[in-house]
Amino acid sequence: MQDYEVEFVERGDREARFLVRDITPAFANGIRRAMIADVPTFSVDELRVVENSSVMFDEQIGLRLGLVPLTTPVDEFEVGDTVTLSLDVQGPGREESTETVTAYSGDIVTSDPMVEPADENIPIIDLKPGQRLELEADAVLDRGREHAKHQGGVAVGYRHLQRVEVVGEKGEFEDDEPHILRGVIEEQEAAHASAGSGGEPRNGELVPTEAFDHDLTNRYPGKDLEVVDVPNAFVFHVETDGSLSVDELVTRAVDSLRGRAEELRDAVQL
Amino acid sequence: MSYKCSRCKRDVELDEYGGVRCPYCGHRVLLKERSRDIKDVDVE
Repeated sequence: MQDYEVEFVERGDREARFLVRDITPAFANGIRRAMIADVPTFSVDELRVVENSSVMFDEQIGLRLGLVPLTTPVDEFEVGDTVTLSLDVQGPGREESTETVTAYSGDIVTSDPMVEPADENIPIIDLKPGQRLELEADAVLDRGREHAKHQGGVAVGYRHLQRVEVVGEKGEFEDDEPHILRGVIEEQEAAHASAGSGGEPRNGELVPTEAFDHDLTNRYPGKDLEVVDVPNAFVFHVETDGSLSVDELVTRAVDSLRGRAEELRDAVQL
Repeated sequence: MSYKCSRCKRDVELDEYGGVRCPYCGHRVLLKERSRDIKDVDVE
């Protein structure tokens, strides 16, 4: 099996950016699609409404609960497994009160501590005096291709890595229009004069364009530049909804891709 | 099936002879109460 060079530009629990070299555009897109559609996460799929005297229909509340990300431990469950959750929230006690009580995702009680809301501050509904919401919900493990609520990766994409080369000085009377570029650049030569625009450049250093406000003229003032896509090098930007960490999401996406490739190989073997 | 009178807010039981009318205040607007059964909802 081939190894790939992976280099992180930014790395957080829920959001990361990393460079992968020597992969084809088709493979990069395969990873992206696997992150969106093939990594299973828990999501509310069925409700048993005991009492709902709120202003919204049971189905609308069900939709909102379905969109609450639930933490999904790796390798503990199989697709189709369910975990029961419950919610019981009441409006303010005093009848004449004009205040409301908000039911938050943090009010959801889980029967399995491994599967719980990833965020505690997602509002579900406001309850006025005398209103009450009591229900039991079944969370099901399923994939993003079945329903978007099961997507683990919510903002997943990639761009070509771009190499910026200084080809010369800009002419004295040329207009200095901004040269906007978004993504991550690979600096070629340490040949730019500006200090204080994101540190000293080294050859091959990866710089996110936020470092110079997406404007190459800030980083290379007075230089004539050439920007080229680096062949077969892609910078992924991955954000999860909190049900999985970025590491888990990416590795499980790649695992699912590998699983299907092996299945295909076994199936076509003569 | 239980209803609630919209004027006097009392619970009203309807039978097939009485017609749609509150036996306490005579009001003809009755509101149907939500069933106390537990309702199953499929989240789509």
